Amino acid sequence: MNRWTEPDGIHIDVRGLQPPQPMVAILTLLRSVDDDRPVIVHLDREPQLLYPELAEIGWSAEIIDGEPGEVRLRLTRGE
Amino acid sequence: MKAGTKAGAARPKLAAGFLAGATSRLLPASIPLRYFGAAAVFHLAAWIALGAGAAGAPRFVGGLDWPLAALHFVTLGVLAMTAIGASLQLMPVATRQPVYSTRLPAAIWWVYTAGVGVTAVGMGIGAPLWLGAGAVAVVAGLIGYGVLTARNLAGARGMAGIVTHGWIALASLAVVVVSAVSLAFTYLGWPLFTRETALALHVPFAAYGFMGMLALGLAYILVPMFALSPAPDETQVRVSAALAALALLLAGAAAFGRGYAMPLQAAALAAGAGAVALHLRLVLLALRTGMRRELGRSFRLVRIAWALMVASLALALATVLAPDVPMLATLFGIVLVPGWLLTLVLGMMQRIVPFLASMHKAPGTKLPRTPSSLTADRPLAIHYACHLCALVLLVAAAIVDSSWLALAAAAVGTLGAAAFLAFFAILVRRMRLPPAPRTAVPPTAPVA
Repeated sequence: MNRWTEPDGIHIDVRGLQPPQPMVAILTLLRSVDDDRPVIVHLDREPQLLYPELAEIGWSAEIIDGEPGEVRLRLTRGE
Repeated sequence: MKAGTKAGAARPKLAAGFLAGATSRLLPASIPLRYFGAAAVFHLAAWIALGAGAAGAPRFVGGLDWPLAALHFVTLGVLAMTAIGASLQLMPVATRQPVYSTRLPAAIWWVYTAGVGVTAVGMGIGAPLWLGAGAVAVVAGLIGYGVLTARNLAGARGMAGIVTHGWIALASLAVVVVSAVSLAFTYLGWPLFTRETALALHVPFAAYGFMGMLALGLAYILVPMFALSPAPDETQVRVSAALAALALLLAGAAAFGRGYAMPLQAAALAAGAGAVALHLRLVLLALRTGMRRELGRSFRLVRIAWALMVASLALALATVLAPDVPMLATLFGIVLVPGWLLTLVLGMMQRIVPFLASMHKAPGTKLPRTPSSLTADRPLAIHYACHLCALVLLVAAAIVDSSWLALAAAAVGTLGAAAFLAFFAILVRRMRLPPAPRTAVPPTAPVA
């Protein structure tokens, strides 16, 4: 798992992790974010079970362009 | 976790809604919900049927009557119905394979649900022809489910331990179907095996094999998912599955091994106890190490169910060692089915149903729904108290051989089941309404 910062937000790469480890890593990161920066998530596949958890803590997700074979999500606080 | 800087920012392109694309690998909400809804209705029917047969319930060991109908409303109507609905939605997550067809799960539901109703009523009113006709529909539905699941498991990538549990459950389902056909045909005069042999196959392979292996396997997805903990150790998951498979093989051999039945059954129970001990070690570790420690009333039911799973093995051993004590067989059945399996399924359903329902967008809006906004807590509180009270009354009825206590258990259980049905109905109603506007949770707030 890699985590880094770029101008467009905080990135986390959870590719290669077994479920539910990607979800745990993402939610752990979101709990530590104390400003309005977006979080960019790099995944192997769409994290269907993550969406209800995001909704519960007030975060939204949108799919953005990524590398071939990658699912990339942009997570933002609020709607 | 490494922190740093990487060149090349993501290029935002698609400003989609909350569940953009997620629905492509999800079954339509109506498919899992119809299975969960039918399970809630059959749950109510089970307690009512028990009330109708309360006179014979405390010493029930089989035979066409309302206690048998109540048992099958639970096993086929609640347990298997929920397992089918949940696994159709959750297995693709574990196997990374989409469900082969969306029409087949809907068709299976119609055939299977009608079959369960006719079978159970046939048992209750003592009509072998109804029972036979219903059994044909039930078997057809289970075979359809088995084919769908086998296709999914065959293409599985990753999570081999959970997939192994799925295969053992499917193999057990084959034994359950054959033994069930034999038992149903016994009443029509054409048994495949003796009633004793068919029962000795049917009970362990239905409870511990089909339902048990699905319960254990799905727990390895659900417990870490809800507790937000690391996935269980894959090697230990596989060892637990291997011990469970050995236990089932020994139980199967005991059904045919006249003269060796007792040592084979004892060996099966020892292997089963090993599988259960390892399973509990893994799921309890997940609960201890998870980010979310407080999982509420639903997981209190799950923990009680796990304790009753262990108790069911102890009672099974007692029935092997003391087969002539009349109370033990009934007590074993109560602890096994409404105790362990029903309590576990109802506890899990309280979390799964709102969770899966919230994955689908409300009609005409992009706003997401949250599991908590779909959950009506009061009916669940009523159900919790009634379910536990009904179990205690049922155990007491078996111990003191009291039909009045069995009737009281049925009355309290019916109230609890009605409350659970209300929880489900409220959830479906809330799904049809637009969600309330959300506000962000402060970053320091707990996830739970």
